[in-house]
Amino acid sequence: MILGLLIVLPVVAYLAWLVWALVAYPIPLGYNLRSLWQRKVSSLSTAAAIALVVGIFVVVLSLAQGLSIAFVSSGRADQALVLRPNARFELNSSIERDRMRILKVHPLIKRDAEGFMASAEVVVVKLFPMADGTDTNVTVRGLERRGIGLRPQVRLVQGRWFRPGLSEVVVPRKMQGRFPGMDLGRHLRMGGRDWLIVGTFDAGGASYESEVWSDVNDIMQAFRRESYSALLVRLESPERLEGFAKAVEEDKRLKLEVVQETAYFKELTKAGDPIKVLGNLITLILTGAAIFAAMNTMYAAVAGRTKEIGTLRALGFRQREILASFQWESIFLCLTGGLLGSGLALFANGIQTGTTSFDTFADVSFAFTITPGLMAQGVAFSLVMGLLGGFLPAWRASRIPLTEAMKGG
Amino acid sequence: MRWLALIWKSLMRSKRRTILIAGSLVLSVFTVAVLQSLLTTLNAVTNNPNSSNRLVVRHKSGLTQMLPRSYEAYLRQQTEVETVCALQWFGGYYQDPRNFFANFASDETTLFQTFREEFGLAGITEAQMKDYLRDGAGCIVGESLAKKNGWKVGDVVPLTGTIFPINPRLTIRMIFKSPKPSDENVLHFHYKVLEEGVPRMKGLVGSFWVRTHRPEDIPRLIERVDRHYANSAYETLTETENAFNLSFVKMLGNIGAIIQGITAAVVVAILIVTGNTMATAIRERTTEIAVCRAMGFSSTRVLALLLMEGVLLVGVGGLLGVLLANLAAGGVRSSLGAAMPFFADFAILPDTVISCMAGALAIGLLATFIPAYAATRRPITEGLKAVG
Repeated sequence: MILGLLIVLPVVAYLAWLVWALVAYPIPLGYNLRSLWQRKVSSLSTAAAIALVVGIFVVVLSLAQGLSIAFVSSGRADQALVLRPNARFELNSSIERDRMRILKVHPLIKRDAEGFMASAEVVVVKLFPMADGTDTNVTVRGLERRGIGLRPQVRLVQGRWFRPGLSEVVVPRKMQGRFPGMDLGRHLRMGGRDWLIVGTFDAGGASYESEVWSDVNDIMQAFRRESYSALLVRLESPERLEGFAKAVEEDKRLKLEVVQETAYFKELTKAGDPIKVLGNLITLILTGAAIFAAMNTMYAAVAGRTKEIGTLRALGFRQREILASFQWESIFLCLTGGLLGSGLALFANGIQTGTTSFDTFADVSFAFTITPGLMAQGVAFSLVMGLLGGFLPAWRASRIPLTEAMKGG
Repeated sequence: MRWLALIWKSLMRSKRRTILIAGSLVLSVFTVAVLQSLLTTLNAVTNNPNSSNRLVVRHKSGLTQMLPRSYEAYLRQQTEVETVCALQWFGGYYQDPRNFFANFASDETTLFQTFREEFGLAGITEAQMKDYLRDGAGCIVGESLAKKNGWKVGDVVPLTGTIFPINPRLTIRMIFKSPKPSDENVLHFHYKVLEEGVPRMKGLVGSFWVRTHRPEDIPRLIERVDRHYANSAYETLTETENAFNLSFVKMLGNIGAIIQGITAAVVVAILIVTGNTMATAIRERTTEIAVCRAMGFSSTRVLALLLMEGVLLVGVGGLLGVLLANLAAGGVRSSLGAAMPFFADFAILPDTVISCMAGALAIGLLATFIPAYAATRRPITEGLKAVG
């Protein structure tokens, strides 16, 4: 803790001083910025290299973020999933019909005009052919009509919702691009039947956008399932969750596990962790490379201007003014790269892709989403590069002995 | 060789610059080598020579749907078939759900024959084999898995089922060695434990692993099996083991495209940075170069010297980067390998080293050529006049 402060404090103080210097010493600063322009090729090429690294940084961040959005935005704190103990995920879980009958009318479940706010659901995975000719596992969810209302982020885009008993499905709009034959009015082949696609839906980036939905009984019949997978329930308030969990776990007829919906999706997000770790590692290493490059350019810039620095000193500019202005020169150099790189990353925005969660064993569609926040992080990141890469050369520039500087050239 | 001293001297003219650019190169080449090796590791999973005469038969709808055990009799009857092993992913964990490893309920009578190469049969004694076959609640584990958890033969391993509602307590009867690390991160137990413990699994299994006598028979067999069960209550999807594995690698998504994208960006960045540095280095020596040419060095010789300087710089940087990547390979194996089984085999292969070095040298040549060529085209008189 104290060690941390010892490191952070001087950095913060230095930054504050730099900002102050921006106002206090305008003349050498203007000179530095003009000389960046003087060495166009060298400055631009360094900025371009930094832009590429910042671009990678932003894209990798967006990948990790897209994956998180796909899961996290799916849950509500006042809703819970009932699963078989130790199952951890809907796909692994099973609840027999007789247990489900007891569970679905549990007194702690919230009620409205239509009755208990609960949806008994079944989840299976099915291989679907993708546009590139290979197959991938897709989650097929059978749910009750109540289940649609329990997911407020889901809305119908085209057509209508499925009706029970008619082998009808609705598909996510986002899946249509990656999987052929998912247009409205066409048929999907599953469990030895043809299912008519009657609607498409959108779930605001949530993981439901990777699922095909139909009626729970239709799916159970077609896939020869004897039991449900899980029950989704809404409670009066998030505080009721604990009582409900206790009641369900201790009821000898049930012996099931209750997981808060938000916690459930948080667990799922961990599927993206390896990608995140790898991405961070890559960026960290490449940042090192970029800092070296920036340092090199700045050293060359300082070395090439020994005489000019000497002149500045002879004119009466102080050492710290020179330090500040060279530091700013490097920051501006990297900042140009950072802005360029963040802009570059925009090209990746909206690209749909998918990965498979090894936990749920099914495809997860998500998009690279370059948000202003991520771009700002990219720019901030380039500032750090400029700070680190420029400090030593700037320090050197400010320490050149006056006599030598006047001779040099 | 006799020019090497001169080239080295030019590089050391500004030690700091050379070290910084070399550092930049080392880190970049390191990143590319590791990323490309991730890709080759994944490709190796789907291109395993040991599995060239094995097939996987599963339900057409995917692995979560079961097939009847009785299909085994039909598969065995086919003349091309040597053995058939019924195998079910159990998906249990030991103590902590994060503690991931592959565990299967499998037909103990044909397991060893079907996966001959993976079990490295040489090290297994008759007695151990008998112990496992006799003990219905026994299990076998790979050596690296046993080492990680501190298990010995005779220990009891309690597994917690996630897919199936049973928590079997299994006694380790054998610890086996495999040629590949990823094959050692596995536990097998008797199929009966699953079948008798879980009512809905009675007479059902997730997949059959079929070993044929000759790889040439495979296409015909695939076609025949799938046709035989077409339109039945349980349709099959039969494919080679490599194709089966590919469907899992594909689950990671389009990692290939992401890795190639990053590699391309890094290559362009190095090209720019190296080009910039070499341009500075050459500009600094405008007068020197002019003097050399005035002394009688032909412009091709000067060009060659400058190019060699760039190549040497990038070569040293690249070599260090690849070496560093080799040192890091163990770390990748233990970290990523624990989360995803494929990466337990991660290694920087000679092919990757060669292509990284070739790429680095090409970058060195390309980056140096433009400023070097410009320097040799400059009229000597002008170069001599220039003020460094």
